[in-house]
Amino acid sequence: MQLKRLVLAKPFLTLAICIAAWMVLPFVIKRAARLTFFEFQAPIDVSAATIRNLQDYWAMRTRDPNELIEAGKEIARLNSFYENKIRETKTLEAEVARLEELLRLPVFNTYRAEPARVVRRDYNAWWQRITIRTGRTRGITVGAPVIFVGGVIGRVSEVGLYTSVVDLISSPGVRLSAVIETDGDHRPVNFQGRSSAAFSNATGTLEFVPFDIYIPPGETVRVVTSGLGGVFPPGLSLGVIKKLEPGADGLFQSAEVSLDPRLSAITEVTVLVPLNPPEPPKGAAQ
Amino acid sequence: MLPPDKNDPRTGTLIETHKRHDWRIVSFYPIVAVLLLVIAAGFAYQQLFKTGEYTESEVQQSQRRILTPGPRGEIYDREGRLLVGNLARYAVTINLDELRSEFRRTYLITRRKWREADDKNIPTSAELWRIARGAVMQNYLDQVNEIIGRDEKINDIRFRRHFNQQLLIPYTLIEDLTPEEYARLVEQLPVNSPLRLTATSTRYYPYGNTAAHVLGYIRSSDDLDAEGFPGENLTTFKMRGTTGKDGLELTFNEHLQGKPGYTIYRVDPAGYRIEPPLERSPALRGKRLNISLDIDMQQVAEEKMGDVEKKDGYRGAVVALDAQTGETLVLASNPGFNPNDFFPRLSQENYDRMNTLRAWSNLAIAGRMEPGSTFKIIDAIAGFRANVLHPESVYYCGGTLRVGNRNFACHDGHVHGDISFHDAIAKSCNIFFYRESLDLGAQPIADEARRFGLDRATGIELPGEIKGNITDPIMRRARGGIWAGGDTVTLAIGQNETVVTPLEMACFIASVGRDETRTSPTILHDPNRRPLHTEPIGLTPVQRRALVEAMRETIKTGTARILTNPRMRDLNLGYLDIAGKTGTAQKEVWEDGKRGIINYAWFVGFAPASDPRIAIAVVLEGDVPGEEVGGGAIAAPIGGYVLKKYFEKHPEQIPAPPAQPAM
Repeated sequence: MQLKRLVLAKPFLTLAICIAAWMVLPFVIKRAARLTFFEFQAPIDVSAATIRNLQDYWAMRTRDPNELIEAGKEIARLNSFYENKIRETKTLEAEVARLEELLRLPVFNTYRAEPARVVRRDYNAWWQRITIRTGRTRGITVGAPVIFVGGVIGRVSEVGLYTSVVDLISSPGVRLSAVIETDGDHRPVNFQGRSSAAFSNATGTLEFVPFDIYIPPGETVRVVTSGLGGVFPPGLSLGVIKKLEPGADGLFQSAEVSLDPRLSAITEVTVLVPLNPPEPPKGAAQ
Repeated sequence: MLPPDKNDPRTGTLIETHKRHDWRIVSFYPIVAVLLLVIAAGFAYQQLFKTGEYTESEVQQSQRRILTPGPRGEIYDREGRLLVGNLARYAVTINLDELRSEFRRTYLITRRKWREADDKNIPTSAELWRIARGAVMQNYLDQVNEIIGRDEKINDIRFRRHFNQQLLIPYTLIEDLTPEEYARLVEQLPVNSPLRLTATSTRYYPYGNTAAHVLGYIRSSDDLDAEGFPGENLTTFKMRGTTGKDGLELTFNEHLQGKPGYTIYRVDPAGYRIEPPLERSPALRGKRLNISLDIDMQQVAEEKMGDVEKKDGYRGAVVALDAQTGETLVLASNPGFNPNDFFPRLSQENYDRMNTLRAWSNLAIAGRMEPGSTFKIIDAIAGFRANVLHPESVYYCGGTLRVGNRNFACHDGHVHGDISFHDAIAKSCNIFFYRESLDLGAQPIADEARRFGLDRATGIELPGEIKGNITDPIMRRARGGIWAGGDTVTLAIGQNETVVTPLEMACFIASVGRDETRTSPTILHDPNRRPLHTEPIGLTPVQRRALVEAMRETIKTGTARILTNPRMRDLNLGYLDIAGKTGTAQKEVWEDGKRGIINYAWFVGFAPASDPRIAIAVVLEGDVPGEEVGGGAIAAPIGGYVLKKYFEKHPEQIPAPPAQPAM
């Protein structure tokens, strides 16, 4: 009878021993185990993404050839358009550099753009993150800003060898310094992602907005990165706000920021790898 | 083994038997019952009758209330420009209750290290706790330092005081973060860190020194009004608020002061709060205030007075009123101060500077000065009303006039000969008005001044207003003094204990402009304010025309002709229709035991003369005894610049030039 009881309790005993063993394991081993798990999981995610891409490819192949030819032409046109834009941008960059040199303006923190495909999305009420197909081998660092065509998408929270996890700006764990585009004084305000209900648009919260900032009814105002925080370059779009409401403390206003709806369907992003890691301002202590 | 002896009381068994109704035992039953009843009654009493008391006691022990001040309302000028606002003040704070386990862990580590070191001077437990808490706090502060590049240290005394007295209130690590530092921390501090980025507001005066005396200043205050809030008996922590100390900040303190908010927390036996709060009510913002000042004009007035102060060291004041409604357009006093310097505290250096310059006083409402020749307008009105003076009256000016046993000189020692009323006003002939006052008598002049309210505070909504003083024979005699002829003539030229404030003079000249006797000034702006209508002066149209024409002539060719001088490119106001009067009063001062005379330079006027919209009074106080400070030369130009600014903003009020006769 006792033996039978012992046999029945065996799984629980094993679990208890495992938990106890995990608790007494040194921190280094725990960390290594977690990282290894991440690294082992990464190829699975990448393979799944590749399979999805293949599915899409074959789904496309089933379409009418004329349609594909038209799509190809459209892509060629777009490519040509973007090539022109790249040339224009280079000319403008050169001009900006020349003027900065002439006016002896301080050089902004510069970044290297590292494009990457999205291999996995993980959305839930508590955090929203994506896994992208680039990692330490490409110089990605934790905290690096990630952007897409619609502006900021988030920042890197974990970096593997070949993949990285990006916390989206709709996640409550992401906070950054923003400015309201119409505020001539460029006063920094606090942007933080906000948990949104399922199937609703991604939103964020703007706090500490001075009371003298006003948005006329019916108008929308863009919220962009301030560039003062040392992580994100200035002027990147975060979203739009429609109205400001008095904050709970009565001191400032707050607002709900509507984020780009494409955030949930993004397939490609660009990681901005800082060429010079952010340093604290020298001589700031007064 | 022997059988038990039945007679032996020690039976040898473990069981004792007693008789069923042993009286000794029975007697205990009621005693026990009574005792049980007493206990039950005691419990019932405590439970049923003292519930409220214990509940209250439990609430007091386990709940704490935090009061948060509401932000003050803003002040705007008449065109909606922000004069006083609230500026974000960024701080990094930490909730001590989130660090409990860290304090404990660090305490244990610290104690272990001391023990391992086998140091006999091991600190006491209380000291070890203090060391541990300090180390944890410095560790968090170092995280902040690393991001923003500072080298801040925990102030041990301040932290200990906060921990012991204000445990529930977040401890502020750094409270003066720049926007850049704040932005860096927003992006680089982990969201789940116990470090919190907060923003409070601090009073902000965007125009700095401008209108400082009107706006006033604030000081920190713990006096939060918690009346009507729940939890009156709870231990209450108050976050520091502010209170108005001068100017509008003081007068409208209740209006501007927001309503405090409160939060009631449950706390554990150690005093740490337990989230979430039991009750909360947010602080409410104070109401906004729209004042009547025009900040552009105010800036012009203060800039020009500042120029004079820099060059000659003269103090002064400028008051400009909407002549129709009494709304104050300019109320400037120089030297001033920067209200931004007062918060969080005024530095000793600024305090000393203000004392040296006597910058605390708002000369516009609290400067009592002899009005000098501007008082001749009163003489004229009193003379007209008493039928002693006529528009065509002529008196002889021989440069001096002997009254009693004293010679009284004319303005600047001029000899005007036969001089008309028109010229006497324009050229400010003293002898004319000496003679007129001797014909009229002092009492009607003083009565007329009182009719215009020159001996009363105007009632403007600012603290510290002082009323003027009009002396007269009745009052002098009532005090046992003697009134001589010399007193009459000095009264006529605005001397002899007659003192007025610049605001009173502005009200007076606005009243003259409207042909009325009273102007109640206000600092509050109401776009729908109705024009004032008070008792008319009572001049005939001819008398009125004569007075206004004479005041116009003052600007064109008289003592204030500098305002229409074609060579003054910047200040040729010939295109405006201004009626004005200058004055230079003398005041006896004693310095180092020596008697001296300082001057007050005045200019009062209104424009357009035919339909006044703006009335102005300017005064400057000389600082060197014996130095000549002329109203026409120094005060009039300042008034001119303010008038010029006004009409630049209201070109529609500039009267059309008279039509040229057809050739």
